[in-house]
Amino acid sequence: MIPGVPPLIGSLIMGSIVLGFVVGLVAYTTLLERKFAARMQSRVGPYRVGPHGLFQPIADGIKLLLKEDLIPTSADRTVFNLAPVVFLIPCLLIFASIPFAPNIGVADLNIGVLFFLAVSSMEIVGLFMAGWGSNNKYALLSVMRAVNQIISYDLPLLFAALVPVMLAGSLKMSDIAAAQAGGFWFIFYPVLGQLGFLAFMIAGVAAENRTPFDILEAESELVAGFRVEYSGMKFGLIQLGEYAHVLGTSFLGALLFLGAWAGPGPAWLGPLWFFIKAMLMFLLFTWVRWSFVRIKVDQILAVSWKLMLPLTLALLIVTAIVIVMRGPAV
Amino acid sequence: MALAGAVFRAMRITGMNLFRKPVTVHYPEKPRTYPDRYRGLLALTYDPKTGEENCIGCRLCEFICPPAVIKVEMLKSTGRNYAKSFSLEMYACEFCELCVQVCPTDAIVMTKSFDMATTDRRELLLDKDRLHAIGLKHQPSWATGNLLRDMQAPPAPPKKPPAEGAAPAPVSAAAPEPKAEGEKT
Amino acid sequence: MAEVRAIDYTGSERLTMNMGPQHPSAHGVFRAILTLEGEKIVGVDAVIGYLHRCHEKLAENLAYVQYPSIASKTDYVAAMSSELAYVMAAEKIGQFEVPKRAQYLRVMVNELQRVASHCLWLGTWCLDMGGALGGGTSIFLYCIRERETVLDLFESLVGARLLYGFHQVGGVRYDPSAGWAAQCRATIDTIEKRLLEYEQMLDDNAFFEARTRNVGVISSALAQDVGVSGPLLRASGVNFDLRRDQPYSSYEDFDFKVPVETEGDCHARYRVRMVEFRESIKIVRQALDRLPEGPISSRPGVKSLGQVRVPKGEAYARVEGPRGEVGCYLVADGSQKPYRMKWRGASFSNLAVLPYILPGVTVADVVAIMGSVDPVFGEVDR
Repeated sequence: MIPGVPPLIGSLIMGSIVLGFVVGLVAYTTLLERKFAARMQSRVGPYRVGPHGLFQPIADGIKLLLKEDLIPTSADRTVFNLAPVVFLIPCLLIFASIPFAPNIGVADLNIGVLFFLAVSSMEIVGLFMAGWGSNNKYALLSVMRAVNQIISYDLPLLFAALVPVMLAGSLKMSDIAAAQAGGFWFIFYPVLGQLGFLAFMIAGVAAENRTPFDILEAESELVAGFRVEYSGMKFGLIQLGEYAHVLGTSFLGALLFLGAWAGPGPAWLGPLWFFIKAMLMFLLFTWVRWSFVRIKVDQILAVSWKLMLPLTLALLIVTAIVIVMRGPAV
Repeated sequence: MALAGAVFRAMRITGMNLFRKPVTVHYPEKPRTYPDRYRGLLALTYDPKTGEENCIGCRLCEFICPPAVIKVEMLKSTGRNYAKSFSLEMYACEFCELCVQVCPTDAIVMTKSFDMATTDRRELLLDKDRLHAIGLKHQPSWATGNLLRDMQAPPAPPKKPPAEGAAPAPVSAAAPEPKAEGEKT
Repeated sequence: MAEVRAIDYTGSERLTMNMGPQHPSAHGVFRAILTLEGEKIVGVDAVIGYLHRCHEKLAENLAYVQYPSIASKTDYVAAMSSELAYVMAAEKIGQFEVPKRAQYLRVMVNELQRVASHCLWLGTWCLDMGGALGGGTSIFLYCIRERETVLDLFESLVGARLLYGFHQVGGVRYDPSAGWAAQCRATIDTIEKRLLEYEQMLDDNAFFEARTRNVGVISSALAQDVGVSGPLLRASGVNFDLRRDQPYSSYEDFDFKVPVETEGDCHARYRVRMVEFRESIKIVRQALDRLPEGPISSRPGVKSLGQVRVPKGEAYARVEGPRGEVGCYLVADGSQKPYRMKWRGASFSNLAVLPYILPGVTVADVVAIMGSVDPVFGEVDR
């Protein structure tokens, strides 16, 4: 990747840069969400820590580091302590497969999209460990629902993500981005693109446990759900993982549907455009989150199996037919 | 679909509010304006003309107070009485304004400020000096005993054709200018 | 200690979960011991009394001139209704007349209080259903923003925002000042416009309907058996509103509609309260237009403790509060303090319906139902 440097060292360097970037981005994404949500509710968000609240994430981080680390006596210590880590690793690992520009990225795999979606569903293991290890009825109830929900929505998410894959003809992310060069973003593709984007949005919101599908947290019923027994930096890690997952899905959405780094201006502006598009996706997720009440778990599952799965399957079949009819050239 | 319509409508409302000015008032940098009748901290007043204390130690406020937070001792003197000691437990006060209402000399009033947060509850046990200090420091509200009683009193039967600004009747609902707002809407 | 009632504890996979007195959606201090089977509730044991402050004993030791401001603290969200019940009971026994202007002011203030209380109801209900981090918060903050303007109105009138002491035996204590009517009209105009926004957000909203349709159905017979009142009763099909059927304080002079729905589920209660919003605003406008001149009290303002002596007798006064029928039963013995006073709390009777409608629903529905029943525990525990 980096010319003149052995690939292993190059990957390590790129990996550290990306990791640092992601962690910093996640922290400031929390601030962005809070200010955005606040403005939608006729108030200002964090305001006093730093000019207009700019140092709020740093203050939150320091606070979490300094908090007492409580472990319930009856909790399963190994599982309890390992859960945040097991939850965080897949959420950060997905960024390894995203190329930020035609040749910049940690690893541009031939099966990029598959890797991304497979690894991102591994967070369920961490979730369940957290709920189980807490030895708390509320936590257990919430992760039972979470496992149900995430598993149900991973399939529609996969099928929705497969629409651009089929249109581009490759699982490699940079190929998909290249196929959208010149302004032919897949979201503009008649009918199929928009439906695919819509399905991706809905399945994405559900797979990340965001309102209106956030029964996992369900603050008013289950207090904090699976996170209820976590304090201090372990809680910080879980938050980090959650927001990293949301950001990862936003980046994936921007890459699959919004043309990744295509944008006016010179080529080196590419990563900036990519970043802006990912942020727009994230703001869209946030806008949806702060506008709706949540629905119950049985209704969420009904939507997934009875509505989303058949529809995305049908969408996939129609896409396949259209591609065959169009001919081999894209 | 109807669902899409509902979704877009809800998101439009939150989107609209995104561009409205927030209603946050950045207290304490920006002060809030309090209405005239605001029931804030209690204070004892001085007579503006003579500079003497208004309180005559009659203990009416002590008797009327529902949570019984006022304790007064009367000091008899020539011509008029005073309050030897006047203590008010602000931490238990209900801010119901009954003490203000019964005071015959408008001695105790409520001010337009509530700003008295402390870390020690004992600092909220106010004695006479502190109550007078609050009265000097903060602006008193419109409501004093006599004004409140005048507002609530049924009108006296008319003795002669009513003239505007006539001689003050003992229990009259139409008091002259000292009232900041006397019009009935 | 809660006594053991005949709840069937047998059955496998039963989980006893405590929706404890400290809970983000308990609407106050309320403990519900739920017996769950999987996600369904099979038994509920409600424990109240965490907010008991001995109001009824307190009333025996406080004079008629002192108690009205304490009466606000029973239903603290709709303080004006509680005060009104108490002074009306005293006036009934003593046959005290209340001047017309005072009656209109009482009506105006009670209806404004209904608007403020329903704002709070809608906000906290959506907050519970949508989560403190989620869409519910948006509606909550909009409703609170509107409620704050109503509280500003009360602040200009009385000086206090939440607990007023506005009523006194024989009339009211405060007269609106010169600019108050204009401020009132501006406020209710804004609220009426904003109501449209809430309806746009919630009406026909599939998520909202999924949470509230056919949830917590109270049948008309059950409602009348248990003794619920207010919007719960009207949403179950019983056409009864104290303001229209047993008018007090000049309500007969006003022209307003009483909404009645038949389904008895949470969505019906939502519709009833949304209509009540608009009808209350209508009443306030009529009262403002027709406010008569005159004194605001038939008795002189409070000058001493023993000023109001109610002759021997007893009476029960009922008021249609935002939550239902608030009643005050007063036994007077001729002195300046009542001999006995009993509150009929609207939320207390409304909560009694829970053991009948909760079994069979899921935990998520409990939150929606509790919100639509709209209890205020000051009224329940007194």
